[in-house]
Amino acid sequence: MTFVSQIGVMKQEDSTIFDKYGKDPGFKVPENYFNDFNKRMAEMLPDVEITPIDIKPTMWQRVKPLAYMAAMFAGVWCMMSVFSHFTSTNTMNSVSAVAEKLNDDKNNVEDFIMSGSVSDYDIISYEDSVAMSNEDDAEDNN
Amino acid sequence: MASREKYDEALVVEQLRNQATCKAAFSKVIEHYSSQLYWQIRRMVIDHDDANDVLQNTFLKAWTSIDNFRGDAKLSTWLYKIAINESITFVNKKKVMNQLSIDDDESFLVNQLESDEWFDGDQAQINLQKAIASLPEKQRLVFNLRYYDEMKYDEMSEILGTSEGALKASYHHAVKKIEQFLGETD
Repeated sequence: MTFVSQIGVMKQEDSTIFDKYGKDPGFKVPENYFNDFNKRMAEMLPDVEITPIDIKPTMWQRVKPLAYMAAMFAGVWCMMSVFSHFTSTNTMNSVSAVAEKLNDDKNNVEDFIMSGSVSDYDIISYEDSVAMSNEDDAEDNN
Repeated sequence: MASREKYDEALVVEQLRNQATCKAAFSKVIEHYSSQLYWQIRRMVIDHDDANDVLQNTFLKAWTSIDNFRGDAKLSTWLYKIAINESITFVNKKKVMNQLSIDDDESFLVNQLESDEWFDGDQAQINLQKAIASLPEKQRLVFNLRYYDEMKYDEMSEILGTSEGALKASYHHAVKKIEQFLGETD
């Protein structure tokens, strides 16, 4: 059975009654009945006292904003703790990574020297300049 | 013809809570709901004079307990509840007066319909009213609210305090019983 035919069946549930009898039960009222009734009824109303609604907040209603705020701060604190935990782990990882990298760089320098990119002349000049500065220091001390 | 102010339920509910405006606001409520409540009551009690009395009692009860209405439910739901309770109470009292059991159906209400001054239906309409009156109270209520007022099940559920599924089942059973009753009568 399709959806459309299902709706058709639902609509037809009371169609046998509706087709034969309609929706007018045959009741009627005196002329102007509702206008007269409304007037009569309004005049008939006794005096009543209306208590102004004085809604005193309950304890929970009073502390609710504070409780929500506390929960919000607790949530933020938890999030920050988790974030900081992961960040410190990452930092430690990065320190060891830098150390490893530096170690690699040292090897690279040695490789660079070993590969002969620095000439003997450069090394001798460097050693001479160190020796001369040491001698100057010694004279100054004397 | 007097010009009618547009009915604003939120405003009326607000005015009902104020001592200075509550009476005028309730007059607006009467004007707005008297017709729909009357027809619901009339279908329950059948007789016009009885419906008039029950409608009057409904509004008086609503007015005297207006302080209890806090606007949690819709005003129409609250009034329908009072009207239905008043109708049931009235029918039960009438059963006692007619020396019938509370468990008997309401067919006795329809017996005087032919001679009722405020009924202009034919024999078929009388038969339909007899069929409706033969239903159990809940099914009769559901049938009247759904068939004549075309009330939605969710609204009906709030008024009668029954689940929508149960109301649909009640309506289905009511329709089947009425069809069967009319089939046997014709």
